Amino acid sequence: MSFTLKIKDQVEERAIDGDLTIKDLLDDLDLSSETMVSKKNGEIVIEEETIEDGDEIEFIQIIYGG
Amino acid sequence: MGSCTKCGNPNVIIKRKASGQALCKDCFIESIEKKVKQTIKKENFLEKGDKVLVALSGGKDSVVTLEILNSYVERHIIELCAVTIDEGIAGYREEGVEIAKAHAERLGIPHKVVSFKESFGIDLDEIMKTEGHRGSCTYCGVFRRWIINRAAREFGATKIATGHNLDDETQAILMNYLEGNMENLAKIGPKTESNSEMFTVKIKPLREIPEKEIGLYALAKGLDIHLAGCPYAQESFRMEISNILKDLSKDHPTIMYSTLRGFDKIRPALRQELAHDYEYDRCERCGEPSSNRLCRACTFLEELGK
Ligand code: SF4
Ligand SMILES: [Zn+2]
Ligand SMILES: [Zn+2]
Repeated sequence: MSFTLKIKDQVEERAIDGDLTIKDLLDDLDLSSETMVSKKNGEIVIEEETIEDGDEIEFIQIIYGG
Repeated sequence: MGSCTKCGNPNVIIKRKASGQALCKDCFIESIEKKVKQTIKKENFLEKGDKVLVALSGGKDSVVTLEILNSYVERHIIELCAVTIDEGIAGYREEGVEIAKAHAERLGIPHKVVSFKESFGIDLDEIMKTEGHRGSCTYCGVFRRWIINRAAREFGATKIATGHNLDDETQAILMNYLEGNMENLAKIGPKTESNSEMFTVKIKPLREIPEKEIGLYALAKGLDIHLAGCPYAQESFRMEISNILKDLSKDHPTIMYSTLRGFDKIRPALRQELAHDYEYDRCERCGEPSSNRLCRACTFLEELGK
């Protein structure tokens, strides 16, 4: 079981074991949900959304410092 | 996982901790537009026949400002024009300028791009190579203001709209308060209120919208926005305050709203106590309004030998 993760121009394939939500993934990657919008298969989703086999997840940073 | 509080659509794109609302894309877009329109009405930002200049960087805040104000153009209430400032930051600014141009063209809005180089004979990259410079953001702030004021007169604009959001406003309030900078604190507000004819009134249509929701609105509407960080952005007191506020907001989701609301209540008293009307004259060098012999922009330019 795996999904695709896209951040900017970087795309990577990641494995899922067990239940995984967008929130878990953001926490794992040490990314702040306060500055990111998440998309699943092209649609904007909230943090509670679960990630399933074959999903394409994209994180878009919308808040930059400065 | 819950569906839209307003229409029951199961595809929710935001859960607002502050209100407990969950909203689908369409209801979220509508809620933002409604809120901005309420602010505009409450603060008397627009009068019929106004010509509003939008300071359009291509970033989310200015693009959303332009987009929402354009609905007033469609209803024949106001006219819009836009100015984009090219500070001269290689590898960063170009994309924002292109995005800004495309939006102005799409909406049929008169638009000009003005560079630091053509205005001052030096761009930000060059300034940052000089010794003893005052820090990138100081020049940006002062030089942009100079260009925007001038562009407003050239366009014959009656108002200037900026993209300041709820986060910007609360950061400014807290920063000035904590630094004891009460005169600057008293100047914060929805509109600039100068009784000098030389200044165009500035309005902040997004000041009650959290920054994150502005980004979300832009993405939900499919608006092209410039997403990148400035290479000169650095640790600053503002950033520390911004981090504190974001942290606090996690467990106290209404904190920014209450900070702004409370401030708006004491603002009249603050102004009465602290705001004095400066005597404005013209800068000896450039002719822009200034309370000193030289305006801030010209003071900096003299330092830079320009
Ligand atoms: S972060 Fe960059 S673009 Fe923004 S004010 Fe500072 S130098 Fe200018
Ligand atoms: Zn809905
Ligand atoms: Zn001057």
